[in-house]
Amino acid sequence: MSTPHGINFGEAPARTRVDQLRRTLGRRTEGRAVALLAVVLVVALVMEPLVFSAYPVTLSRVALVGLVALGLTVVILMGELDLSVASTVVLAGVMMAQTDNVALGVLLALGTGVAVGLVNAFFVVKVGINSFIATLGMLFVLKGLAIVISRSEPIPLENITFAIQFGLPIVGPLTPRIVIFVLAFVLLHLFLTRMRAGREFYAVGGNRQAARDAGIPVDRRLVTGFVMCSVIAAGAGAIDTLERTAADPTAGSTVLLSSFAAAIIGGVALTGGRGSILGTLIGAFSLGTLEVGLTLTGVQVDIQQIYIGGVLLLAVMTDPASLRAARSSLRTSLHGVRARSTDRGLT
Amino acid sequence: MNQLAESPTVAAPTAAEPRADGPSIAAKALLWAAERGIVVFTVVLILASVLFVDGFASAVNVADVFHRAAPIGIVAVGMTFVVISGNYLDLSVVAQVATGAVILIGVSNSHSIPIAILVALAVSVVYGLVNGVAVGYFKANAVIVTLSTTYIGLGLLRWLSGGSIFFGPRDGTIESFGDIKLGAVPISAIVLVVVALVLGFLLSRTNFGFVVRAFGSNKEATRLSGVNTPVVVLGAFLITSFAATIAGFVLAAYSNTAVSSMSDGYDFGALAAIIIGGTSVFGGKGSVLRTVLGVVFVSVLTNVLVLSGVGFGWQQVAIGSLIVLAVSVDALARKVSKK
Repeated sequence: MSTPHGINFGEAPARTRVDQLRRTLGRRTEGRAVALLAVVLVVALVMEPLVFSAYPVTLSRVALVGLVALGLTVVILMGELDLSVASTVVLAGVMMAQTDNVALGVLLALGTGVAVGLVNAFFVVKVGINSFIATLGMLFVLKGLAIVISRSEPIPLENITFAIQFGLPIVGPLTPRIVIFVLAFVLLHLFLTRMRAGREFYAVGGNRQAARDAGIPVDRRLVTGFVMCSVIAAGAGAIDTLERTAADPTAGSTVLLSSFAAAIIGGVALTGGRGSILGTLIGAFSLGTLEVGLTLTGVQVDIQQIYIGGVLLLAVMTDPASLRAARSSLRTSLHGVRARSTDRGLT
Repeated sequence: MNQLAESPTVAAPTAAEPRADGPSIAAKALLWAAERGIVVFTVVLILASVLFVDGFASAVNVADVFHRAAPIGIVAVGMTFVVISGNYLDLSVVAQVATGAVILIGVSNSHSIPIAILVALAVSVVYGLVNGVAVGYFKANAVIVTLSTTYIGLGLLRWLSGGSIFFGPRDGTIESFGDIKLGAVPISAIVLVVVALVLGFLLSRTNFGFVVRAFGSNKEATRLSGVNTPVVVLGAFLITSFAATIAGFVLAAYSNTAVSSMSDGYDFGALAAIIIGGTSVFGGKGSVLRTVLGVVFVSVLTNVLVLSGVGFGWQQVAIGSLIVLAVSVDALARKVSKK
């Protein structure tokens, strides 16, 4: 916008350290997740310190909630959705249990993930349908396939000894699941913040047309993102199957909620372009700690759901954009449009 | 609102007509399938089922199709308002249907039926208000908002009801209402028709319906033309929760039982019917009639698959493929008509 005394491009340069720090913090999107984590940790410390002494339990819960959420974050950053993650988890688990060779099984599971990601991307990129609907269709198709292949019975793994080994700690108190989760986090974080292709994901989500005009191969980035998300979900399915020593075609109903919740609480914007993997990690930590804390204090599963739903609702409604929208909506309702339309213009 | 209805410049959201010089035959076919396909496909499916599927045309089976289609159909007709207003869907119908059913039977057992109905309607207003305020006034994403209200609602319901099954009194008012039949048509299907007529009138013949469709086509233009848009979204969610609660009543009356898990899958099931009927998830385009056709199509198809011995897994695959197919045809037709 031009002002009578000239045009300003961007912000004024930062004068002091404090100024600079405040500006950097203002750009971060993890604020609410950190606040929630702080509240959860303090309450847990006072009410149920067992959450910390039983930290292997807490950590494996976080890894369970968080792994799928990490992959989902990549897709949400690009302004798309993937509702099929929960079904991908289940189908990959079922595929894995088809063979008695664990290595081959893991390959089959990950291959399933690649295939699912490619199909999702095909419908979004080539056919041009909304990812919400494309992945909704896939949610049904994959769930159905898992039921067909398994004949709706849980399939036990042939190689039980390896599966039991897999559930035991390998590095200190950390189980393979936690190690894989941490690795996935570090790799994705580096990819999205340090690599060119990863940085371009933000551009694709922020303003797709501008990204196209700037010469970013938008379609290829979309394909990469969907495949990454599905492969991570498939990996989570393989881990679930190994830890349970069986593939359960009816499992995984809460995966969709908790992975979305972790990303949203972590400040990842559903409109795309804003958010971070770090935020999702913090979101997963808050949710995981909350769940374990509630379980340890003896709260029933039903009431835990109320808490988690409440936290999620609070998270979307306290988003800065939501609060702004609420203020302006209220003004609309109270004063009528004529008073407002002149001062707000086309924002 | 009045100002908008009088203005002839705001075009009603109809899909683009093919150009005069005419696209190719394939393009015409795509456009036709996207626009009118569902009517023909539904008729053809029903005729083929009557002719080729053993046991489809029997009175018992037709009544069964009606019974399965009615509750989810009522939900879908209500949810059409949310979808057309461009807000994706209302996932919390799962919780709303179950809550309506459990309250109807649970409260009528301990108090009386009118009190049960009042309580259930009051709860449905709360659902509509929470969803509608969060999505309409706070502009929060409808998927996430209704996902959280689903969890809060189902959690509360299971906690308060102890997760137990509620039985209505034998030969009580609720059971005898559920047993009413007009020939092969059960009362649940009649309720669906009444709800569809009322909501169809509301959507296509009233100012409110016009504004819902206008908001779905272009949110900013609707706001700038002087519509109190947050209220429109709130209204769409309130209608959805009323319909879901009525569906809960119908479901409870049919079996004379209620349990918190009785409406599992209604969220995406209803959305599937809406999409297959041809209502656009981008908002603005669609109708109650399309939703009813979508519900009939999905119910008949599922019934035929069951009669032919096809398992639950393949049924899910079929519905998923249909969703993608329906939307792909729509998307391709859009692309073609732009060229």
